[in-house]
Amino acid sequence: MSYSPTNATDLVQRRNSPPPRMGFPWGRLFHYVYCSLSYIFLLAPMVVVVGASLHGGEFYTAIRFPPVEPSLRWYGEIPSSQFEALGLSFLLAGGAALGACVIGIPAALGIVRARLPGRTFISSVFRAPLQIPSIVTGIAFLQLYYLFGDATGLYFQGTFLGLYLGHLFVATPYVIGTVTAILQRFDSRLEEAALSLGASRWSTFRRVTLPVIMPGVYAGALYAFMVSFGDVPISIFLTAPGFVTYPVELFYGMENDFNPSILASASLVIFFCLLVLLGMQKLVGLDNLLRSGSR
Amino acid sequence: MTIKRRKAATQGALIAIGLGVAASASAGEFDGVTLTIATWGGTWKSNIEEVIVPKFEAMGGKVEFVTGSPQANLAKLIAARGRAPFDVMEVLDAQEKDFFTTGDFIQNVDLSKIPNAEGLDDWQRNESRVASWNTQETICYDKGKFAELGLEPPTTYTDLINEKLAGRISIPDITSGGGLANFGAFAYAAGGDETNVQPALDLINKLDALKFWSRGGEVITQFQSGDVYAAIVHAGWCTRAKNAGANVTTAHPKINDEHTGVNKYGWLVIMKSSENTDAANWYINEYLDPEFQLRLATKAGVVPVNKEAIARLEEDPVLAEMLVLDPAKLDTQLRIDYSKADIASWNDQWNRAVTK
Repeated sequence: MSYSPTNATDLVQRRNSPPPRMGFPWGRLFHYVYCSLSYIFLLAPMVVVVGASLHGGEFYTAIRFPPVEPSLRWYGEIPSSQFEALGLSFLLAGGAALGACVIGIPAALGIVRARLPGRTFISSVFRAPLQIPSIVTGIAFLQLYYLFGDATGLYFQGTFLGLYLGHLFVATPYVIGTVTAILQRFDSRLEEAALSLGASRWSTFRRVTLPVIMPGVYAGALYAFMVSFGDVPISIFLTAPGFVTYPVELFYGMENDFNPSILASASLVIFFCLLVLLGMQKLVGLDNLLRSGSR
Repeated sequence: MTIKRRKAATQGALIAIGLGVAASASAGEFDGVTLTIATWGGTWKSNIEEVIVPKFEAMGGKVEFVTGSPQANLAKLIAARGRAPFDVMEVLDAQEKDFFTTGDFIQNVDLSKIPNAEGLDDWQRNESRVASWNTQETICYDKGKFAELGLEPPTTYTDLINEKLAGRISIPDITSGGGLANFGAFAYAAGGDETNVQPALDLINKLDALKFWSRGGEVITQFQSGDVYAAIVHAGWCTRAKNAGANVTTAHPKINDEHTGVNKYGWLVIMKSSENTDAANWYINEYLDPEFQLRLATKAGVVPVNKEAIARLEEDPVLAEMLVLDPAKLDTQLRIDYSKADIASWNDQWNRAVTK
C-alpha cells in the first residue's frame, strides 16, 4: 500500500473514532473453557497421585488428598521389589517396541504394497491381537507354552522370553497400523526417482522410504511401549516368582491392601516419563516428528 | 571345686556340642529346597516374608511367591492344566467345588507334621486342607451419623432399609473378596439359602445402595469422605476405617434364630504337583503359629484360627470392640456351605437382578 494524504486522513479519523463494536468473544471463551477442562480431566489423576504421595504421618489405608503434613516419607519406603519390577518393565516394553518395529515395518510394507491373495484377510489377522481381550491372550499363551513344552521339552512359562512373546503379540499391531497409515499416503514416485537414478532397492528403502515412514514408526513404537509397559492381564499369567512387571506388582500390592509407597513409586514413574518426553522433545522435537507423518 | 568346675565345663561343652549338632541338623533340614507360595501381594505377603521366610531360610531353604488372588491363581492352575507353578496355595471357602469337590489339584496334608493344627476345631482341618484365617463379615456403620439421624445401631440387614440411609449404603459386589459370603448371608437372612438366593436379591434391591464396592479399601475412602453411613464389609476393613479416623464400629448382623454374624474362611492346601511336601507341611504349621496368626490379625485385619491368638486379641481394645472373640458366639456365626451353591447361577442371577 502506497502512502497518500487521503490514507493519512483515514488513519487519523480511525484513531479518533471509537473502536468498532465487537460481540462478546463466546467462541474464544468456549475454546479456553473446553481446553482447560480437557487438561484438568487428563492431569487431575496425576495431580492426585503425586499429591497424595506427599501425605506424611502414619501408615494410612486410603488415598489422602490433599496431603496433610507433606513429607517425602513414603518415597524412602518404596520396597526394592517395585524397583526391580520397574526395571523389568522398562526392559520388556523397550524390547517389545523394538521387536514390534522389526516385525511391523515389513508387515506394513507387505500389506500395502504386495499383491497377495487374501490381503484383507492377512491385514485382519495382523490386527487380531487388538480385538482379543488381553486376559484371553494371557491364558492362551500360558496354555500354548505348556503344550509346546510337553511336545518339545522347552517350557517358556515364567521366562523372560515367554513374557516377551506375549507382549510382542499385542504390541506389533500398533506399529503395523501407524506405518500402514503413512504408506497408504506415500508418493511412490519418490522411490521410482531414486531407483531410476541408480539406487539399489535396499538403498532406496533406507534413504527414501524409511525416513518418510519414520514418524509412523516412532508413533507405533511409542504406543507399543506404552501398551507393554502398562499391561496387567497378560503379564499376570506369564510372570513368575521374583519376575514380576511393575503394573502387576502394583496391582497385587493394592488388591488386598493399600500401601502409600505405591503412590510414591507411581509418582516417580510419572516424573520419569515426563522427563523422557521433555528430553525427546528437546533433542528430537517429538511434536514435529509425530506431526510430520501427516505431511 | 576345680574338679566340679571342670566337670561342669565339660558337661556344658557337651551340651553345647549336642545343641550345635541338633541346630545344624535343623538348619540343614531344607537345604536346597525352594518352596513356592501362592498368596496375596502387598502387606499380606510382607507379613509372611518378615516372619516365616527367615525361619525357612535359616533351615537352608528359599521361599518364592506367586502373588495374586485365589481366583487369579486358580485361573493359572487351570491354564496350566493342574501343574501348579507353586507348592502351597491360599484358597477361599467359596472355591470349595474347584478344589475340594470337583477339582483334582491338591494332595493330602500330613496333619502329624502340623502340630499347630491340633488346636483347631475338627471341621477346620482334614486331610485335604487346613483353615488358616477367617473374616467376620459385618455391618460397619458410622456411629455419629446414625445418632445424628436418630437411628438405632443396626442389628439386621433389614435395619438398613430406611429412607434416611437412602444412597448411603455400600455393599460388596459379588465379584469382590467378600461378595459371595455376604450374598449367601443375605439369602439366609431373607429366608433363602445356598440353593435359593432370590430372597437375597429382593432384599438387596430394597436397600438403596450407593455403590457396590469391589475393593475393601474403597469403603475406607467412602467413610472418610462421608459418602456412606453404613457398609457391608469385613471387620478388618471397618477397623482400618476406624484407625484412619472414621467414627465407625461393627454390628454382627443377626441372620436368623441360629446364626448371628457371618464368617468367610481361608484355607491352605498343598498342590498335587508339589514335590516339597515336607516343606509345605512345615510352612502350614508355621502359618498356624500363634505369633504369626496374631500378626496377620493385627496387620491384615483377619481373624486367627489359632485359639491362643484369638484369646490374645482381647487385649487390643479396638479389635475387641470390632470382632466377636467369644468362642461360644463364634460358633453361631454363619458359614456358607459352598458345596451346595451353584456359584455360576449366583453370578448370573446377581447380574440380572442387581446390576440392571
